[in-house]
Order: sequence, then structure tokens, then C-alpha cells
Amino acid sequence: MTNTPAARRLPPWLPITAGSAVIAATYLYLVLWRPESLVGGAGVGPAALIALAGYLVGSALIIAGAMSRMPTSTVTLLPIAIAINIVAGQINNMVGLPLYLDSIGTVLVGLLAGPAAGAATGALSNVIWGISISPASLPFSTTQVAIGLLAGLFARWGWTRRVVTGVAAGLATGVVAAFVSGPISAFVFGGANASAGRSLIVAVFQAMGFDTLGASIGQGLTVDPVDKAISFLVAIVILRALPARFSQRFPFARAHAVFRPRAASVLARSGAEAPAPADPAPADPGPPPAGAPPGAADPDAGDGTTGGGHR
Amino acid sequence: MSTTLQFYRAGDSWVHRLNPVTKLAFVAAVTIAAFGVERLWWPAALFLLLEVPGAVIAGVAGRFVRMVLGFFAPFLVILFLLQGLTYPEPGTVLLHLGPLEVKTEGLVFAGTTALRLLVMVAAFVLLLLTTHPGTLMSAMQQAGLPPKIAYVVSATLQIIPSFQARANAIMQAQQARGLEVRAGGAAARVRRLLPLMGPLLLGALTDVENRSIAMESRAFGRPVRPTAYTVVPDSAAQRAARWAMLALAVLVIVLNTLGVFS
Repeated sequence: MTNTPAARRLPPWLPITAGSAVIAATYLYLVLWRPESLVGGAGVGPAALIALAGYLVGSALIIAGAMSRMPTSTVTLLPIAIAINIVAGQINNMVGLPLYLDSIGTVLVGLLAGPAAGAATGALSNVIWGISISPASLPFSTTQVAIGLLAGLFARWGWTRRVVTGVAAGLATGVVAAFVSGPISAFVFGGANASAGRSLIVAVFQAMGFDTLGASIGQGLTVDPVDKAISFLVAIVILRALPARFSQRFPFARAHAVFRPRAASVLARSGAEAPAPADPAPADPGPPPAGAPPGAADPDAGDGTTGGGHR
Repeated sequence: MSTTLQFYRAGDSWVHRLNPVTKLAFVAAVTIAAFGVERLWWPAALFLLLEVPGAVIAGVAGRFVRMVLGFFAPFLVILFLLQGLTYPEPGTVLLHLGPLEVKTEGLVFAGTTALRLLVMVAAFVLLLLTTHPGTLMSAMQQAGLPPKIAYVVSATLQIIPSFQARANAIMQAQQARGLEVRAGGAAARVRRLLPLMGPLLLGALTDVENRSIAMESRAFGRPVRPTAYTVVPDSAAQRAARWAMLALAVLVIVLNTLGVFS
């Protein structure tokens, strides 16, 4: 125990709070206060370096804090989620859609394991993408932190129990993501983008008279809400298709009844609509969930697609 | 370690033998230096004097140039088109093209940003070409990275290729039961993704359970620090070099924020 690093002896909320504070301070300094030295002349002065350093230090602190007390079942979920992020994002870039589609896994973890785990997934996802395939995605890890955090919070507030509110949560997350990623795309990348389609949107905004930061945020606002709505939709659909046993293994999803309507629809097949999502979560810590009995009453749990659970 | 997602080229040069943490510190320091100094020639000098010789010494120059260009060329073209034609700040107009104006300041801004990105991308490519991802993670863990984070990074790098293998197997299985793979337009192709993606994701997510049981039975997640199977060599000189690069990076950030270079 003597050589345990200091970060692990701290309470986990401390680095997470510190990291969020660093990111918020960076943002306030660059976007809202906007010192005089940032404007004019060649280049953009210290803005690029401040954006890069502040965002990355903040993300590192959040990863350290969120991972320190994470249960093993969540830790093993992370590589799968990150692989989903990277593969989907890479396919999107190859096909050339003007979207990102690189946060489906982040949303997935946010829904299952809560805001802190979602934030860690997002940050690590872009770090790994950066050190393995495309270095340009590394600076954007803070955007993914915001996405994972919001996915967890919306799940806790019960927005993901129905598809409609889930898509609305995705739209709201997209707006936040656009504002968070603005300084990075403007100051570090000069508004340019790996995707020609997204860069064209920036060009149109600049031609309309916005500065590079405004144009980058504007580009984000046209793309991100749609993109995050799709990500939330896909994540919710995937998690509903899995046997209930899987999501019930995660204490966060169980305690906040993240996927209420599915359990109800299986039992109330006789025609009754799902109950209103507003009623309070059953704080049920025991292994047998209040809804469907695991596996037994579930018609789609029996076929070959889910056979991996019992080898 | 089985096949991982990697660009690593095996080699025995001086650069290959450096401790991966030292190379990572170099990546961070050179990137911060490139972004920190407000001169057009400065990032170009960093690239030509530090990164290109590094790639030559490591014997990976050809691949280095190809990969850097592969990442960097799209950014270069887009940056010059974007900031060359629609630079939003006032400046000296060189050329009128309908509603668009080519400005000196826009071209300088595009050039500065492009050269900075070049330094960042090239530093990462150099690290990836000369460092095995597994070695990088062992070295990071010995330098104090929590084992959980190291696990997530190395597991992800191994899972992505296994995703591809699994996707191929599923595709063949679906073909065996009569799925048309080649016919149809875009809509049909999207519809065909469902019988592929469904089993792929569901299978991967149900694996999570087995994996976590297996890992917990091997004391993963205990607060005790595990001993290392492979010990990555390190030296006092490299340790000193790391601290020096770190100090240099902090110094650049401080000087830059105070506005010394602008």
C-alpha cells in the first residue's frame, strides 16, 4: 500500500470537481471573458495553448477521479464502449457523413453506470483514438466528457425511459457539446475539420461574418444536436434489446430505473400502455428486479443472439 | 499479446530503446512548444530539426512521411481553403473572388495553424511507429498510472481487431442462411447493417459479464499495486530529461500566457 499513488487515496469527487473547475475556468476565460490579446495579428495568441492545456488537464483529472473507485463490471464495459465509439466514428469518417457518430458508447456507459463513468469513457475514448488512429481527435476529449456526464444525468432524471424524451436529451446534449468543442476547433484547428462537409459549414458561417470561434460553435450547433440525438437513440435501442439481466447488473441503472418501460411492456403485453415515467424509481437494491424476472418472462432472451451469457 | 491495432514497426534503434514515457513527454513538450511560440518559422524548425531526424535515426522515415501526410494533407487543404477564402478578421485583401476575399492575415493564420498541427501529428506518429502499445502501457503503469486505466487502454486496442474478426464471422453466418450481401442500393445496404450490427453489439456486451467475473477472481481492482511482468528499462538520464522537458513545457505555457512571444 505504500506505493499507492496519492491520487487514489483522495476521495474520488475531489479530482472530478477540480477537473471540472479547470475546464470551466478555461472556457470562461476563452469564450466569455475573451481577453483583448486573443484578437488580431497573425495566429490567435495564447488562446490555442490555453485551450489545449486547460482542457487536457481537466480531462485527465476527471479520468483519474472517476476510475479510482469504479467497480470491475463497469471497468470491463469501458473497452467495449470505447471500441464502439472508435469503430462507428471511423466508419462515419470513411463514409464521409457530416456527422461524428463517435459517442454511442459514451452514452451507453452514461446510461448504465452514471455520469462519472460516462465522463471517463468519453475522455478515454478520444485519448485512445488519438494515440492509436487519429491524433487529431485527442484534444476533443473534453467534449466527450460533457456528453458522458449529461447522458448519466439525463438517465438519472428519467429522460431515457421513453424514446421521445431520450431523443430530446440527445438534442440538449448536442447543444452543450457544440459550445464545449467550439474553442478547440477554433483555436487549435483554426476552424478546419477532418470532414470536408463540416468544414464547409464553418466556411459558410465565416462568410456570413462570424469570427472563427462563432463559426465553429455555429457548425457545432447545426451538426451536434442531430448527431447526439442519433447516438442517444441507438444507445437506448441497443440497451433495450439486451436481456434485462444485463442492465440490472449495474447499480446505477437499477437504482434510478433507467429503463422502466421495457420491463412494463413485457409484462403488460395485454395492451396497457407503459406507466407514466414520472413515478418514482423503486429503490430496490436486491438482485431480482421489480420488473421482468431475468430471462424467464422475456421472449427475446431465449434466441441465439444472446447466447454469450452462459458459456 | 495478440494482434493489436498498431502502426508499430519493430526495430532496435536508439529511439526504439528509449523508455516510452520519455517519448510521451517529448510529444507533450514539443506540442506545447509548437503552440506556445508565436512565430511562423518556429513549428517548422521543430519539425525539421527534432522530429524528422528522430524518424531517420529510428529507421522509419518512409512510413513516417507517408503517415504524417495521410493525416495532415486533408487538414492542410481545408485550412487554406477555409481561412484563405473566408478569414473573418479585417486584413489586407490580396484578391477578390466574388463574395470571397483572399487576405494576407488569413493565409498567415492558416499557415501557423497548419504548421502547429503538423508538429503535433508528427510527434504522435513518431511515438506510435517506435513504441509497442503494450510496452507503452507497462511503462505508464510503472510510472504510476492506475492499473484500471492501463487495462482499459490496452483492452480497447485489442478489442477493435477482434471486433473485425467477429464481424466477418457474423457476415459469413448470415450469408450461409441466405442474406444477400451485394445486391441493392444505399437503402438496402443500410438495412443489411442490422443483421450484422445486432449480433455484434449484443455479443460484445454479453461478454462483459464473463470478463468481469474472470478478472475479479484474479484480484483485479484490489488497492494493492501489482508487480510487473515486463519491466521496461529506464535510466537516470532519461528521468532527468523527462523532468527537463516538463519544466520547459510549463515555462512555455507561463511565458506564453504572459505574452512574451507575441
